[in-house]
Amino acid sequence: MTTTTPAQEIADLIARCALRDRVAFRTLYERTSAKLFGVTLRILKDRSEAEEAIQEVYVKIWQRADRYVAGNTSPISWLVAVARNHSLDILRARRPVADDIDVALEIPDSGPTPERAAEDNEERGRIDHCLGTLDPDRADAVRGAYLDGYSYEELATRFAVPLNTMRTWLRRSLIKLKDCLTA
Amino acid sequence: MSTSDDIGGDHEGRNALVAEYVLGLLSASEHDRIGRLIEADQNLRAERDFWISRFAALNAEYEETPVPAHLYAAIEARAFGDVIRARGPLPWWESLMVWRGIAAGAVAVAVAAVGFNLMQPRFDADTMAVQLVAALQAHEGSGIEFVALYDQGSGQVRITSLKGAAIPNKDFELWYINGDQPAVSMGVVPVNERREITVDPAVIGPGTVLAVTLEQTGGSPTGVAQGPIVAVGSATPI
Repeated sequence: MTTTTPAQEIADLIARCALRDRVAFRTLYERTSAKLFGVTLRILKDRSEAEEAIQEVYVKIWQRADRYVAGNTSPISWLVAVARNHSLDILRARRPVADDIDVALEIPDSGPTPERAAEDNEERGRIDHCLGTLDPDRADAVRGAYLDGYSYEELATRFAVPLNTMRTWLRRSLIKLKDCLTA
Repeated sequence: MSTSDDIGGDHEGRNALVAEYVLGLLSASEHDRIGRLIEADQNLRAERDFWISRFAALNAEYEETPVPAHLYAAIEARAFGDVIRARGPLPWWESLMVWRGIAAGAVAVAVAAVGFNLMQPRFDADTMAVQLVAALQAHEGSGIEFVALYDQGSGQVRITSLKGAAIPNKDFELWYINGDQPAVSMGVVPVNERREITVDPAVIGPGTVLAVTLEQTGGSPTGVAQGPIVAVGSATPI
């Protein structure tokens, strides 16, 4: 006998949304909207903006359900990413235009396989362990960037360090984090 | 292989751009630029997914908060009624509102079609009352037009294309829609050839919408239109 995990159920609902199943959309909304509203609220930090954003997020989910590829990320992580990215887009559009240096992108020889990427997806221990290898301030800055969507400028102010110092901190922390996570 | 020239990277010639991208730390223009590079490269996509899934372990810290109940109706209206503007043609026409503006034009074409005797309608008094014509006009510049005649007495729909050519590896599929009911397929219709389709009595009446979508060969496998609408019109008594 096979049992369906909650993740499989969410993946199934997303797949049915891709087939324009409106009942599935409603069920998906009922199952996941409280979590995604938590995301838009925490990043936007304004209730009416978060309410507007959550509507746009579910419209996007309906429109882009066919882009969800099972295996690359868990279904709930994908939904959180849609909500998080949408909220970050709103914040980013408000920020002043920065002087960009076109930094060349390091192309990895081979990325982690999708299976590998997803397998310990929901495992809290690993990321906590690796964040624990960083200085506490730097680990908090990484968390703040992820969970609250703080920009480099906001992080520099919060941690009372110059902007360039914060950039260097974070970049080195992320490289260290990757080494730890892939070890 | 690495294309890094170490600008902004650390001493080992590495940088953390994909992670910065996932965290959302890049400026708007840089975010777009890096996003395009990632989309174009399989290994970078894998690296992006790696970071998304690893950071996802922190998602537990997002506190579940119920959404105010009144928002769902607005979401449905935007998702189901407004799809076309956001991502191109989709079965948005399940909502009748969208095509109403073309009804007047449809009648004009319908009258012309009858005049050309395309449909060979029988002009006796008994059948006049139960014949309907629908001109399916090109939608969004598709260049595809059909005209359909429905005889309630025989339950037959006769449809022929007026404009447009067949598209390789695709088929045109005909649907009828009554009110806010889901669209019902009437099957695949050819171009440059008349087709007769028998439907259940009374499924088509004045105001029934007929629409043609572009689907995979053989028509939509799900019974729900998946492709863009190419022609649409409503049935009018003649």
